[in-house]
Amino acid sequence: MTTFTFILIRQMPGNPFSIKVEQLMREQNLTVEEATNRAGALFDFDPNRPLLEQYTEYMGKLLRGDLGKSIISSEPVMNMLLRFLPWTLFSVGLGLLISFGLGILIGMLMAYWRGSLFDNVMTAFASVMYGIPDYVIALLLIIVAGVQLRILPFAQMLGGSTPGIEPGFRLDYILDLLFHAFLPVFTYVITSLGGWMLTMKSSTMSTLGEDYITVARARGLSQRRLLTAYIGRNAMLPLVTRLAISVGFIVGGAVIIETLYQYPGLGRNLATAILVRDYTVMQGIFLVIAISVVFSNILADLLFGLLDPRVRLGKEDAS
Amino acid sequence: MKRIFALLLAVVMLAGLVPTMAQEAPAGVFLGTWPYVLKPDHNLNSFSPNGPTANLGVVYWQLVEMPAAFYKWAADEYVGLLAESWGFVDGGYELTLKEATWSDGSPVTADDVVATYGIGRILGWSQFNTVASVEKVADRTVRFVWSGEPSLLAERLILKENIRPAATYGALAEEALALAADGKTRDDQEWKDLNAKINDFRPDALLASGPYTYTLDDVGDSYMSLFWQPNSLYSGTVNFGEIRLWAGETEVTTPLVLNGDIAWSTNVYPPATQQAFQDAGIRLLIQPRGYGPSLLFNHDVAPWNIKEVRQVAALVIDRSENAFLTNGFGATGTQYMAGILDAQVPNMLTQDVIDQLNPYTFNPEAAADIMTQLGYTRNDAGKWVDAEGNTIKSEYKFPGDFADFSAAAQNATDQLNEFGFDITPRAVPWQQARDDIFAGNFELSVWSWGAGSPFAFSHLRNPVIRFNYAGLGEGQPGMNFPMEFEWRGEQINLTDLINNVNVGLDVAAQQERAGKIALILNDLMPFIPLNIILSTEPWNEAELAGAPADDDPILQNPSSDSFVILYLLEGQIAPAGG
Repeated sequence: MTTFTFILIRQMPGNPFSIKVEQLMREQNLTVEEATNRAGALFDFDPNRPLLEQYTEYMGKLLRGDLGKSIISSEPVMNMLLRFLPWTLFSVGLGLLISFGLGILIGMLMAYWRGSLFDNVMTAFASVMYGIPDYVIALLLIIVAGVQLRILPFAQMLGGSTPGIEPGFRLDYILDLLFHAFLPVFTYVITSLGGWMLTMKSSTMSTLGEDYITVARARGLSQRRLLTAYIGRNAMLPLVTRLAISVGFIVGGAVIIETLYQYPGLGRNLATAILVRDYTVMQGIFLVIAISVVFSNILADLLFGLLDPRVRLGKEDAS
Repeated sequence: MKRIFALLLAVVMLAGLVPTMAQEAPAGVFLGTWPYVLKPDHNLNSFSPNGPTANLGVVYWQLVEMPAAFYKWAADEYVGLLAESWGFVDGGYELTLKEATWSDGSPVTADDVVATYGIGRILGWSQFNTVASVEKVADRTVRFVWSGEPSLLAERLILKENIRPAATYGALAEEALALAADGKTRDDQEWKDLNAKINDFRPDALLASGPYTYTLDDVGDSYMSLFWQPNSLYSGTVNFGEIRLWAGETEVTTPLVLNGDIAWSTNVYPPATQQAFQDAGIRLLIQPRGYGPSLLFNHDVAPWNIKEVRQVAALVIDRSENAFLTNGFGATGTQYMAGILDAQVPNMLTQDVIDQLNPYTFNPEAAADIMTQLGYTRNDAGKWVDAEGNTIKSEYKFPGDFADFSAAAQNATDQLNEFGFDITPRAVPWQQARDDIFAGNFELSVWSWGAGSPFAFSHLRNPVIRFNYAGLGEGQPGMNFPMEFEWRGEQINLTDLINNVNVGLDVAAQQERAGKIALILNDLMPFIPLNIILSTEPWNEAELAGAPADDDPILQNPSSDSFVILYLLEGQIAPAGG
């Protein structure tokens, strides 16, 4: 994975040096000589250095846990990851949990009351929302709710926190964090909720046809117990697996949303790094994404075993 | 009597105290935007890639670390900011500073200028192409000693450079000056090490000579703030206590402009957005950007290596239409076709030369005559074909992610095809498009021409040197337009002509040299300057007062020398209704 990433990003057109030259020319109206001279002195990057030499150095450092320094700012990549990752984990993670919780609840009810007005309305809503990309929702929120209707103070909500506020475990700071996280979290929820609802509905409906549900009904169990202990728990199994896998994509799934909302997460940082071809930062972020995907898949396997006794017992029987 | 005396004494003491009492910050907040980087990348070293230079952009940086002077393009005159006087002296150039102070109250002196250039030499600044050394003459006076012939271009570079505090960079500057004194060059390891040390330097605070400064605590995720400081020459004239800069590019700033959270923006907005701004009552200020898209020919590819075919291409593209589709009202079709942006042509060329320029007015009939004379005929599909029946096929490669350049290229393609060429447009990422031009891996392409500079040299070299083998590295042919040729019975070395166009102080001689080059480019048409892009900057008059009228000459300054710098410092821009 690291080798693949290393080679792939260097195959992108342009490099940090040439992009800086172009940027200086455009922004400061420098001549190409001035821009080239200034860019050449700004960072220690040699575009003509052999790829193998760069790779050996990168892998050598990586084996020692050193992700290197940003080509542009000389800041250690690890520092940048540690600063930006928590914001993404918080906002995307919170959005994922809320949409998952709401999705399974509504999906289960849709299946239970299938064919009702509630089911029809919710199915239509879920199908539409499932098909709209998150950045479209984000733009609509800003333009319609923020600019045209003025019901959303979106300018104040941009960023991760209000500039100047002192971080700390205090109510005002926590409320400020939630205020600023509202836009990204709401966008993630609204765009992923439909998927969870439809999947849960489908899963619930197949569970409803199982023999043990008929038996449970025949035993005269209450509706609530039937829904929670029998239908819901079994219908949730495939969704939990999907949730665990989704956790792995938290890190990489927020590039456009974080940029639009100026949220200081890893996605916004990745977008900036790609624009200026900051290879070391891109490598660091892609590595984190790869690791999180692998670990979330392992987590999904473990969770499935824990939640479904048939899997666990099956293994014991086999042994 | 005693009481009256005591009262008088108290009044005199109070009167004496008034000038020294601390000034209060003005109440206004200026709402702007610039795509700064976040912490921990953001730092306060203005010599480093992610320092104030990059994070404030060319306009706001001038309000923190001021340069010697501000240039008014239309009047061709400098207004001193930190500089009290300046001018050429025997063998050099002298600059005397005003009695200014840094934000910590210490004076701005010649030592600051010497330190600035000491480090600048290590960083390879272009000033050292003509400057041999920078010497302190008096407390507030420095002399730049020429290494070659003096020029007005060198003067501009000196006066535009931002002066940094020796108190912050003095130690590094001393090392730099010692290396230069030892005869070291940029190939020496000590030089490279010092270069890296300069880039890695992270000052704790930003000393400002301008009326605004900031700390890293003022850098937020969505906006950063520059705050007024009382010790600048201009602290008493500015009308804003805070300059708030929203982060982000066009997609982020568009709703903020519409919402009134950004009062002035320099982002590039598409025509539809410009219209939305106007519909919302937001004024659009139009200033030159200092460039426009040009059609680049690969001179290795037939028939673009034939002068007359290039002239035909120039005749069949309606440049006004091309301009409108490039950037709406924020672009104008090129008028003079001389390799110099239209606004600068009257300053850089004599009227006699201007009168000789072929305007290449849209004329498909004249173009068809030339094609016929060249032996081409039209086939049944209306395409021009050679004697073997081959159409003139080419690929027009353009940067798909640059809205302005891609629109210019696609419209040029349409117009060329309408005339009877057989051009296929192809969008690629901008980095790829640029690299392909360098490598000569294109047939037709688009990139900028002209420059945001009051000197012909900068205009004329772009793109015939910049994107040609003459200005590229080994193995990079670029346009591969031959720079040595015979023209009207005279042997020409175009590279030398362009490089020397602004040498010396004789303006008339420079005009004469520029005129000759303009006539050559106008005749040979090595590239077609399609149009000139203007900066259409939303200016919310409900928030800001004091913008110049549309016909004010100050708006001839390009965005890199924006009037906002001077007008903010002099207090002409103020909060609306304030």
